[in-house]
Amino acid sequence: MEHSTSADDFIPAGLAAYGIEADEIELAVIQAAHQTFWPPILELLALDTSGIPAERAPDLSQAPPSR
Amino acid sequence: MSSALDLSLREQAAAIAAGEVDPGELLGAALERIAERNPALNAVVETFPERSREMLEAAPAGPLHGVPIVIKDEWPLPWRAQRFGAAEMLAPTAPGESGPYRALRDAGAVIVGVGNMHELGASSTGSISVYGPARNPWDPERCPGGSSSGPAAAVAARLTAGAVGADGIGSIRYPAAYCGLTGLKPTFGRSAMEGHHMAGVSTTIVSGPLCADAGDCRLLGSVLFGEELRRGEPQGLRIGVIGGDVSADVEPAVREACATAVEDLRRATGAEVREVELPELEAATLATVLIANSESLGGITPERLNDLDPELSPIGRGLLKYRVLLPAIATIKSQQVRTLARRTLAALFEKVDLLVCPTVPAVAPPLEAPIVELPSGTLTADEANVRGGALANLTGIPAISVPVGSSEGLPIALQLQAAWGRDELLLDVAEAIERANGRRWVDAVPPPARGAEALEA
Repeated sequence: MEHSTSADDFIPAGLAAYGIEADEIELAVIQAAHQTFWPPILELLALDTSGIPAERAPDLSQAPPSR
Repeated sequence: MSSALDLSLREQAAAIAAGEVDPGELLGAALERIAERNPALNAVVETFPERSREMLEAAPAGPLHGVPIVIKDEWPLPWRAQRFGAAEMLAPTAPGESGPYRALRDAGAVIVGVGNMHELGASSTGSISVYGPARNPWDPERCPGGSSSGPAAAVAARLTAGAVGADGIGSIRYPAAYCGLTGLKPTFGRSAMEGHHMAGVSTTIVSGPLCADAGDCRLLGSVLFGEELRRGEPQGLRIGVIGGDVSADVEPAVREACATAVEDLRRATGAEVREVELPELEAATLATVLIANSESLGGITPERLNDLDPELSPIGRGLLKYRVLLPAIATIKSQQVRTLARRTLAALFEKVDLLVCPTVPAVAPPLEAPIVELPSGTLTADEANVRGGALANLTGIPAISVPVGSSEGLPIALQLQAAWGRDELLLDVAEAIERANGRRWVDAVPPPARGAEALEA
């Protein structure tokens, strides 16, 4: 199945599901943001990260504990 | 005409301590200079002379006794709630004693004004603000950088010698780069953060100094850290130049200036230089944006989004609404990418002391059209800048932006990143770069600053 970066369905449906209204200019901004973010988001989702448990409450002031 | 305001931050502090400069006169001079230069720059959005004088009267004999400082519109003050550059914030705010305010007060500093910022901290350009954009002192038609636009423009124009910013995704380093300053993004959690509306929620934002040079950043940084950032002498450095788009897909003048700075540093310190790969960088950049955006969603409800202040920019309104549509799974994946990036960096910092790359890939773009032309094509400045700025915020490591050149009369900057807690090393190396190039770039001042010297490529 082909991925679509077109916002034709996703954006109106998503906003409607939350009951969020957007005027014409806001919709144009949202569509531009979607075109920028969605392709890399799909690439991110395709990453196999099953072997990488996220650090629990990572202490970002220090290096991660060695495994 | 020369003024004590044209002294460095540390020279101002030393001159006051020695009784050579009267701090009341210095405060008066800062307010006069703001009145004179700020209308063309819009760097400072509010002054409060009575409050400043009260601070001075109560100022203890600290390391910044009597020294005027600008603070970003991201930190509450006892007499003023932050506005975050926006007509409306989604988090509740109120006047109060933020961590940076307390640190400055306890060091004897005098807050002389509030610095402009990009609306909601949401861009590397500084092109949108409820106050109107701040302007770059090197060219008022150019972006000052964001989101700490006003603090950077204020210091570049020598309204004050130091300013406090905040950096959630590069927001100290981008304006430092565009305005020709030195800007330190501290290790996460090391600098004062109390009182920020995202404190305890954000895992990317830190406070930090914007100053002309590394010595001044060391002084103001020590105040914000609550501990002395001791000076060392970098020798035998192992420098890793980050490969890939972040170093290669940049304007030729940027690439050349950054390469020259690294070579100068190598010669001056006997450093060993090699290229290193960070294969996770692209995913890490997106992960930073997704995490930072999701952390700001706490105050959002659909009802709130349907009733946003009409004075909020259409871009700000649209982006707030788009954030709601970002899938939760992407944020979970982003946390895994964060883990991976932190592990990769921990291993890499066993082999190198520093990671370097251009802070931003192009000089400051026009305010009217914040886009940049790179070898790969035309990008928005935000898309291009985030490549270099995000990693430090995602992983918690410190980073610093150092001016190293110019093109078209606009500053160029190199970014240095080091392992967690090695903020002092970054300052040491920034000072080594200044010595290696004869302080050519940190001493250059833009046209609005009196006694301005031309910045020549």
